[in-house]
Amino acid sequence: MTGWLLRRGADALLTALLAAVALVALVHALPGDPLAAVLGEHSATPEQLAALTARWGTDRALLPKLADYFTALARGDLGFSMTRDIPVTSVLLERLGPTLLLGSLTLLIDFTLGLALGLWAALHPDSWRARALGAVTIVGYAIPSFVAGMLLVWLFGIRLAWLPVAGFRDVLLPIDSGTAAVFLDHLRHLILPVATMVIATIAVPLRQQRAAALTVVAAPWVRAARARGVSPAAIAWRHCWRPALTPIVTLFGLWLPMLVAGAVFIEGLFSWPGLGSLIAEATTTRDVPLVVGAGLLLVAAVQIGSLLADVLYRVVDPAQRTP
Amino acid sequence: MRGYTRLGLGLLVAMALLAVVGPWIAGSPYSQPNLLRDALLPPSGAHWFGTDQFARDVFARLAWGARNSLAVATIAVAVATTVGAIVGLAAGGRDGILGGMLRRLIDVGLALPRIIVLLVLIAAIGRLSTLQLALVIGLTGWPGIARLVRGETLRLRNAPYVIAARALGARPARVLWHDIFPGTLAPVLVAATLGIADAILLEAGLSFIGLGLPLPEPSWGGMMLEAREVLGRAPWLLFFPAAALVTATSAATLLGDALRRTLQPDSR
Repeated sequence: MTGWLLRRGADALLTALLAAVALVALVHALPGDPLAAVLGEHSATPEQLAALTARWGTDRALLPKLADYFTALARGDLGFSMTRDIPVTSVLLERLGPTLLLGSLTLLIDFTLGLALGLWAALHPDSWRARALGAVTIVGYAIPSFVAGMLLVWLFGIRLAWLPVAGFRDVLLPIDSGTAAVFLDHLRHLILPVATMVIATIAVPLRQQRAAALTVVAAPWVRAARARGVSPAAIAWRHCWRPALTPIVTLFGLWLPMLVAGAVFIEGLFSWPGLGSLIAEATTTRDVPLVVGAGLLLVAAVQIGSLLADVLYRVVDPAQRTP
Repeated sequence: MRGYTRLGLGLLVAMALLAVVGPWIAGSPYSQPNLLRDALLPPSGAHWFGTDQFARDVFARLAWGARNSLAVATIAVAVATTVGAIVGLAAGGRDGILGGMLRRLIDVGLALPRIIVLLVLIAAIGRLSTLQLALVIGLTGWPGIARLVRGETLRLRNAPYVIAARALGARPARVLWHDIFPGTLAPVLVAATLGIADAILLEAGLSFIGLGLPLPEPSWGGMMLEAREVLGRAPWLLFFPAAALVTATSAATLLGDALRRTLQPDSR
């Protein structure tokens, strides 16, 4: 196990490093003048332009630029944002929290509610409720995340006006409100973004769990347990859930990129101050160092997630452990 | 033919009609006959799908948007499939350093989420034209196809008919092209059909966050972006492009699944 872990870890690290180099090299090798784009309408004298060029190193050759970037990266330095003129890392740190909050809540709901519903659908394959659930899942899967988000905004934010549609907190909330009021306010702002993310991602764990559990339900040991008179709840929990869990773990590697894409498209819609809206904004203003920094962080997160899924798979499925 | 296949074909025909014939019936997607009188009209006989805040006909924009969306998706998938097939064939057919390097290249490509690469490309290049957008969406889509083709190539390399071809003295390149490549086509066709849905979604999503086709170029994502501003007063501005988007992606997904059942009956 240790030997395998080291090999798999080294492999993941190499792939992630090469991916990072590819991403950074891509930016610098492409045509296009980020300086001119950031300046936009503002005019600059030749001297100012020369100073800016020197500062951002836009005229330097590809290889030294890459070498400098990765030397700095090794120290945890991602350079400066071109439009905000503060270190990229501090922008990222500021935006990390909201995205982690959104992502972890989605994860929690997807992998509890989604798995429970999938298991339930497999245990009652012929009931009308399971059929309805299947149809709803297919529809949810077919609707793109941002379309689902817009429909929710229209229905609950505008038509019914039950929930706030934008931001992280109510700016009009009195400054001396109690902790409970602040917490409730945050909660209300979370409902629509989290609901959108869940709709966009829950179909994957749900359908996979259902398919996995369907094969388990037909297994001889489940029939034997039923014949012994074991209660349905115990059958579901002890005889079906555990073996049906194995294929789910590998899903995580598939699910994380979906979450990242969802964050990019959805966060802006809800003015959610996270990494997804940050990378979209930075792309709009063509703040290349910021886009690359945020991109590298998200790539690293996806890589770590898929490595974790691989390791977990070995832990959950004993058959994988024998070399 | 199963119900879902029929549904998929029906939706595809509807989308193709909208993209090919629609613009011809509907007229210009930019025309603003009377900004004061005709803005935000609900659906009616004169404007089937209503008008937007700039007094433009929603049906016209939807139809031209269908043309853009399908054109971008088709070009993107063609590019992704071509590049992916070449890389995958070479990676699976070659041993040694070249094969190993190509395998690593595919892994690296798969490690980079598509949307991240697209945003980085757009930040570096700037505004993209429709054709450029199609090309970059295609160029970020090849790793999935390449992995698939590499796997199929490795599987077919030891098939009896390939061993026979090699024994008859065929050169490696000829074996790869004449004997192995045709055998990989069925799964590639399935993946390409499913890939159309991904490409449509990426174009719409990018346009929705203002980074795809530049406004006022008609696109479904861009229409939804503009609908945000007046959503309370004119929800039809959201409903029609949303329905078109779901229809197009569902058609591609249903047809991809149908092809999989027909061409690869042994896959799950």
